[in-house]
Amino acid sequence: MSHDRIRIPVPAGDERRVEREVFGQLAAMRSVDRAEAYAPRRRTPWFVFAIPAACVAAVAIVLVMFVGRGRGEAPSTVSGEPSIVVTPVGGSSRFTVGDAIIDAGGDTSVEVQKSGDGVTLVLQRGTVDCDVAPREGRAPFRVIGGNVQVEVVGTRFAVTRVGDGARVDVTRGKVLVRAPQGERFLTPGETWTPAAITAAVTPSVPAGEEPKNPSENDPVPPPSANADPLLPRPTTAPNPAGAPRTTTREAFAAAQRLEAKDPQHAAKAYRVIANGRDAWAALALYSLAELHAGVVATSLRELDELARRFPNAANAEDGAWLRVDVLRRAGRNDEASQAAAAYLRTFPNGTYAASAATLAPPR
Amino acid sequence: MTVTLVIPTSPRSDAELITACIAGDEPAQRVLFRREYSRVHATVYRLLGNLREVDDLVQETFIAAFRALATYRGDAKLSTWIDRIAVRVVFHHIRARKPSVSLESVREPGTSGEIEDQTHAREGLRRLYAVLATMSPEARAAFALYAIDGRSIAEVAAVTGTTTVAAKLRIWRARREVTRQAEADPVLSEFLTTRREETP
Repeated sequence: MSHDRIRIPVPAGDERRVEREVFGQLAAMRSVDRAEAYAPRRRTPWFVFAIPAACVAAVAIVLVMFVGRGRGEAPSTVSGEPSIVVTPVGGSSRFTVGDAIIDAGGDTSVEVQKSGDGVTLVLQRGTVDCDVAPREGRAPFRVIGGNVQVEVVGTRFAVTRVGDGARVDVTRGKVLVRAPQGERFLTPGETWTPAAITAAVTPSVPAGEEPKNPSENDPVPPPSANADPLLPRPTTAPNPAGAPRTTTREAFAAAQRLEAKDPQHAAKAYRVIANGRDAWAALALYSLAELHAGVVATSLRELDELARRFPNAANAEDGAWLRVDVLRRAGRNDEASQAAAAYLRTFPNGTYAASAATLAPPR
Repeated sequence: MTVTLVIPTSPRSDAELITACIAGDEPAQRVLFRREYSRVHATVYRLLGNLREVDDLVQETFIAAFRALATYRGDAKLSTWIDRIAVRVVFHHIRARKPSVSLESVREPGTSGEIEDQTHAREGLRRLYAVLATMSPEARAAFALYAIDGRSIAEVAAVTGTTTVAAKLRIWRARREVTRQAEADPVLSEFLTTRREETP
């Protein structure tokens, strides 16, 4: 049987770009996978555990009452084993402690201590973003960051270690901050920073609005694009009550889709992601530099930022090569040649080593 | 004395490559990517008829393939397994968006004498994909894989995850619809006549 075929020529695709994106994204996913492996995820429906737990608790209460009466003693406090959650640089992790949902940011170490006196998170470094139910009738929930202790009244808030103390940002509800300088209640939109010792409380945004993520150590100031309702928000931003949460991966994919139709908007979206600290931020910085390849100064500035903030990123090599490409396309051949030599020094067996060797000045 | 070091460069077998890829060996993953890219790119393009979105979907295909490689059981050829993922990615894309056809599909450089022909070809292609856009994703995929990508009915069935009878039926229905539209559309008819080739 003959086979009628319609001949349609296939235009070439950008294989190198696709390859770079595929392996960049795979590297970012692997780092997220590794981070998630440190702590259990909140995926199982609550009732799977709640019903058996309620039965066990009821039996335990009955037993404790009988045993306590028999011995004439008060019920003893149940002490839980402390556990530590550590996330790697560029990773993040979500875990639950009782009814609280905790998001630990990249390079975070937090110890969870449970006792009859409630739950205490001891933040050794990094950031935790906590969503905690109102405490009326529930065991207390505290976060200790250095010399700052945050007692929860029922809220959503973030604590970031800064020096000996911590910075506290409240999104919803109310917390009590205890610091060597005194005690203070924080309400939505208010921030406690160690620097603001005398003022103690610095309202960052009007109450009811979403505050910016704590980012004192960010080398890049928070972009105005953050206020654009059309743009995806990075996962590190505190989530207002009930708002859907966009993952960074989704935000990155959305920015990629925007590139062809609306490069300006795509650049804004990439910048929002680039302000994070995870692997996606490194990918977004590279994409920004590539998007701005025609604007040499901007592109080089973004590549400098990529090299400075993410020297070990999966796309560091691509960034080094893009620098060569940008300079070459701009006709700055001497600088391109120097950049090619720098690339070869760092990546002597890299993907672009052969091309770099033709450009680099002879030794 | 001259010593020549001979390094074997024969391509690795699928099994070796898969094992290395699953173990997270990135050079092996890149070998697999480079080996499969052209075919996946062509298949996605022919299914879509639109270059603008092809790179994104090819990227999505490879990410999905590498993430799922550990589940590959070897009951089909690796290339067929990857094509199946590509078809699924395109299905998902077609279902998720409103039908649209791009004109930038066959933008090729040409001399001034060829410009008219190219404009005609572009319009013919646009009309062909406009007809395909009215069909179900399954029928569209079956027709595109068979009539444009040049695959056999058995391959179409394997890649779309259906029986050969169902694949044949979908191709037949889609072809009937394209022929029906071409009868009323001289531009499409001419495009199909000039672009048709018969292979044994």
